[in-house]
Amino acid sequence: MADKTKVGKEYAPIRWEVERGKIAEFAKAIGDPNPIYLDRQAAIREGYKDTPAPPTFLTVPMMWSSSMPGVITDLAINFMMVLHGEEEYEYYRQIYPGDILTGIPRVASIEEKTSKAGRKMDMVTIEILYTDQMNEKVAKARSLLVERK
Amino acid sequence: MSLYFEEISVGYEIPKLVKGPLHKLQHVIYAGASGDFNPLHTDDDFARAVGMKDGVITHGMLIMGFVGQAITAWIPRRDLRRFTVRFAGMTRPGNTITITGRVVDKRTRDGENLITCEVVAVDEQGDVKVSGSFDASLPSKG
Repeated sequence: MADKTKVGKEYAPIRWEVERGKIAEFAKAIGDPNPIYLDRQAAIREGYKDTPAPPTFLTVPMMWSSSMPGVITDLAINFMMVLHGEEEYEYYRQIYPGDILTGIPRVASIEEKTSKAGRKMDMVTIEILYTDQMNEKVAKARSLLVERK
Repeated sequence: MSLYFEEISVGYEIPKLVKGPLHKLQHVIYAGASGDFNPLHTDDDFARAVGMKDGVITHGMLIMGFVGQAITAWIPRRDLRRFTVRFAGMTRPGNTITITGRVVDKRTRDGENLITCEVVAVDEQGDVKVSGSFDASLPSKG
């Protein structure tokens, strides 16, 4: 079961340089034809300074940095029993090519719940606050991991 | 093109988006783009070994990405303030996903004109895969 003494703990920062090609690749992988993600000129015509990152793009630095396995291991969560229950993003400004993001993962909460079927679960919420090269807040990602016991 | 706060009322339905049918190749493409290489999404033998008798399941975050596509096809990307989903059910290759949503609240707070919308992604049987909501700050005609 998840180690409740680690609520509030912060982990090593995720550092990620945002590239135009990666934004376009991510939009294409979703199959999103919105030209603002694919074409800089189209984005500028729509009032953006470059191709903005799609709404779920922050999964890219999180997954490519492989930070979550370390967090899960440190929290003594059983990998085989963990499900991704919820995901939330709060957006403070657009993410553009050239941005250098720093994300600090933090254990926001760990709560024990009992399912309708009577099964005990730990609900672990990990928050990652992303700032940019100017040290301004860009977005916050919140992931709820459910560990079945 | 912008949507104006005055044009939107509670109950307004956002344009429906249909995605799919999903193919295993899209899982591989999404794995590479996102960096989520969990073989549960790309390797049938692995998926069966961990109890998925029909093989691989789709990345939940890909379905959230579909919902994000539906949202920013409707409102400009810059207007999105918050986006949250709950992963309710597993999606598999062959599923066709339909995303719908509607405005459930509208308010002005600290000079921002905010709407809240509920969104849901279902398969061809109507089974819910992802449900969630988002807040957007819309410009005013005023």
